[in-house]
Amino acid sequence: MSRHYEVMVILEPSIDERKVESTLEEFLKVIRTAGGSVDNVDIWGRRRLAYEIKKHSEGIYAVVDITAEADAVKELERQLSLQEFILRTKTVRRETVPHAAKA
Amino acid sequence: MRERKPDRRKRNVLNERGVTRVDWKDTELLRTFISDRGKIRARRVTGLTPQQQKQVAAAIKNAREMALLPYPAARKG
Repeated sequence: MSRHYEVMVILEPSIDERKVESTLEEFLKVIRTAGGSVDNVDIWGRRRLAYEIKKHSEGIYAVVDITAEADAVKELERQLSLQEFILRTKTVRRETVPHAAKA
Repeated sequence: MRERKPDRRKRNVLNERGVTRVDWKDTELLRTFISDRGKIRARRVTGLTPQQQKQVAAAIKNAREMALLPYPAARKG
């Protein structure tokens, strides 16, 4: 069963912000090949972290809205967590399609 | 006998803003529910309904995990 997910990713601040989208796109292939869809990619950009993560005080935030099978999302999470330039990820399930809620 | 002022009800920020579902990414809103130490404010302070308080607490905890909000600062301050 396909569900809506929201995946937040914090990337290392040393990365070029313009390359974030293409980097994420690379990972999102997993979703697409599994028959899921990427509904929205929102790059928040550089942001101060509330506390240090791996000695970094800043991070590049991105939020991706996905509709896919649980297994595909799980695989995406796994692949993201293997990258050392990714400081943290969080996946949350959404009941409905977002967009409207986003201001 | 103690006299009770006509309107002692606390303002409910969520209802005022028309928020039906608390978004853990909305740090600006969530910050109104934490003390300067970073602790989650009690329901008696926030004036939220039990359901809302629960939603806010969960949202703050999610936000903390993603370094959007701080964890409570250690003692002394």
